[in-house]
Amino acid sequence: MNFDWTDQDRAIKTRLNNVFHQTAREELDRMEEADLPELKTMTTGVLRNLAPTGYLRVGFGPGARSETMHLVAAQEETARMSGSLFLAVEVTARIFAGLLRGFGNSSRISQIVESLENGNLIGAVAVTEPSEQGEGQRPATEAWPDGSYYVISGRKDFVTNGPIADYLAILANIDGRPAFCLVEQGIPGLIMGPRMKTLGYRGVAVSSLQLNEVRVHKDLVMGPFEDRSALVFVCLTQDMVLTMASVGLMERTIVEAKQYSVRHQRGGKPIFAHQEIRFKLAEMLTLYQTAQLLSFRAAWMYSISDPEAETLIHCAKVFAAEASEKVAGMAMQIMAGRAYVMGNIMELAYRDAKYAALAGTTSEIARMAIADDLLRRYS
Amino acid sequence: MDFALTEEQLMFKDQVLKFARREIVPRVQEHDLNAEFDRESWKRLGEFGILGLHFPEELGGSGADVITSVLAAEALGEAGVDGGLTLSYGAHTYLCADTIFSHGTDAQRWKYIPKLASGQWIGCMGLTEPGAGSDVASIRTHARRSGDQWVLNGSKMFITNGAIADVAVIYAKTDPSAGHSGISAFIVEKGTPGFSVSRSLHKMGVRTSPTSELAFQDCAVPAENLLGSEGNGFLMAMQTVEWDRSALLAPFIGAVSFLIQRCSRYAKDREQFGRPIAYFQAVRHKLADMKIFLEAARSLVYRIAWCKDKGRPLNHLEAAIAKLFVGDWSLGPTNDAMILHGGYGYCHEYDMERVFRDGRLAPIGGGTSDVQKVLISRLM
Repeated sequence: MNFDWTDQDRAIKTRLNNVFHQTAREELDRMEEADLPELKTMTTGVLRNLAPTGYLRVGFGPGARSETMHLVAAQEETARMSGSLFLAVEVTARIFAGLLRGFGNSSRISQIVESLENGNLIGAVAVTEPSEQGEGQRPATEAWPDGSYYVISGRKDFVTNGPIADYLAILANIDGRPAFCLVEQGIPGLIMGPRMKTLGYRGVAVSSLQLNEVRVHKDLVMGPFEDRSALVFVCLTQDMVLTMASVGLMERTIVEAKQYSVRHQRGGKPIFAHQEIRFKLAEMLTLYQTAQLLSFRAAWMYSISDPEAETLIHCAKVFAAEASEKVAGMAMQIMAGRAYVMGNIMELAYRDAKYAALAGTTSEIARMAIADDLLRRYS
Repeated sequence: MDFALTEEQLMFKDQVLKFARREIVPRVQEHDLNAEFDRESWKRLGEFGILGLHFPEELGGSGADVITSVLAAEALGEAGVDGGLTLSYGAHTYLCADTIFSHGTDAQRWKYIPKLASGQWIGCMGLTEPGAGSDVASIRTHARRSGDQWVLNGSKMFITNGAIADVAVIYAKTDPSAGHSGISAFIVEKGTPGFSVSRSLHKMGVRTSPTSELAFQDCAVPAENLLGSEGNGFLMAMQTVEWDRSALLAPFIGAVSFLIQRCSRYAKDREQFGRPIAYFQAVRHKLADMKIFLEAARSLVYRIAWCKDKGRPLNHLEAAIAKLFVGDWSLGPTNDAMILHGGYGYCHEYDMERVFRDGRLAPIGGGTSDVQKVLISRLM
């Protein structure tokens, strides 16, 4: 057992800090207001800056056993800088690139991975569909062979990075089996919906999309798979990303709230001197550190293929998501009126915090999965 | 970071679990109902080696690390051992024996640790007073040097094992004008003239652990019973807090494992509206919340144990965070477990109400949750 970061973990944290040190805070905050061309330029710029640090090459899970803890160490640094930036980068580097690394086996896919690792491409993964599928059901989006190509038709919803992605991995059903088809932005038949207006994470481009007989070369198709491992990888990675986003949100919120409570005075002394304020901060720190440790342990369990890993990831996500909502609420209360003004970091955090509980595996589905595991375990 | 436990640690935890289920648990409910200390279980804990796990072998211990000690305490809770017995064990081993071991002279160690590690003697620690809890500096019990003796006067409140202890570590003011630096610790043996149990307290939970008020009236102890150096008592008490917030928290998280196992089985067996209640999402939601709490709390408690194994003395922030989290957030799972069992949960036979009552101590004992918030906000 070791609760310290290793030298390697610290090294990647330092490299990331150097990158973000050079990026003005205001520039990251500007993502929240950016239009699509600006967002694409800014995201690409950050990805290119991150590439030399090695951050875009680090993997997650059983296929990257030795790297997983470096990754969570690094994710902490990115997540606390900007929630929107973190999601855009992680969808590209972890979910999209991880899918290609773990399940792609053509030279064309290897070339795309290389470009991703150099920060030259933005990726997106399209799983959710408008007619919601339940667990274990087939996607309605279908692909069928046509010579050296597959032809895909269907619709996808809530595609993070969709409008700015260079490539999108589309979950499709090929003959009853799941597959991911890599679709290049601008390909004939791909119709990107308008950018969605969301409550939080406004610096992330999200849209729906439609595929009308889009032709994809077989070299760009991963699968069809006999099992659900690729889909499980996407779900678990997405859940861990959302968990770390919640942890990062809590950290930056607590730092701001603490600083404010020391600066702002009431009754002739800083508001931090009042128990109503400092007890909130104590509770916020407790929630944050608890979520942080639980998330690290869940990631570690996944990396060693522990049989309980999926349950731990669900536990970590539910806890971190709900803790971040509480922390954001208490932080707003501490900063009061100032935090209620649009653009304030607390207002931003308050809106962002809701997302983790409803994205990926929702807290409701996660709880049912945790309970199902317990009921299987104890008879 | 690496969260792996060694094979040895895992095997030992499993051995403790099996031992406790076989040797201790069958008597738990009866003793809780009668609110009496279980001497037979105590004897068996001593024989198994749990009472002196982390002490050196030459003193009758096993030389275990803190993580192993925490795992053993967790295993007791997980087996279904009541919070009273685990509290008595914690107060005995960590608050009393470990203080003697850590700060005592060789003569004091050799005199007391073998007897305490084996369970032949029972230990307690007296710090809290009727008018002084977390505000340690305000204790009034005082010790006056008189020739080759120290004479103690005052009283101590809420003393776990007080009525059954053979030896007590008692904190008293030796320099009332010096605040924290004027507190010293003394070893007081049962039967010392002037040392008495003034009353026993009846509690909501942890009922098998006797809690008492102790009185000292011109209680004279030999000068060599001073523990550590004069005026060092506050620092010694603060060191025991690390145990208070690691090994003493472990049975609470173990108890939640116990609840999860019991509730899962009950939910599958109990049928309502023609199907097992496990079918209902409200029941599964409760099970999930218990599991989320368990895993979250486990990480925090293991972290303190690891810090302590590494010899890091200044881990009070982590300790306070663990104490606050286990204290306040464990109330939900113990409540849910009782509700999940419905009327049976409210009755003694099903263990749930006992764990619920025992669990109420978590946000109170060893410094209330509010005190933890004071500490956390001071240290953050």
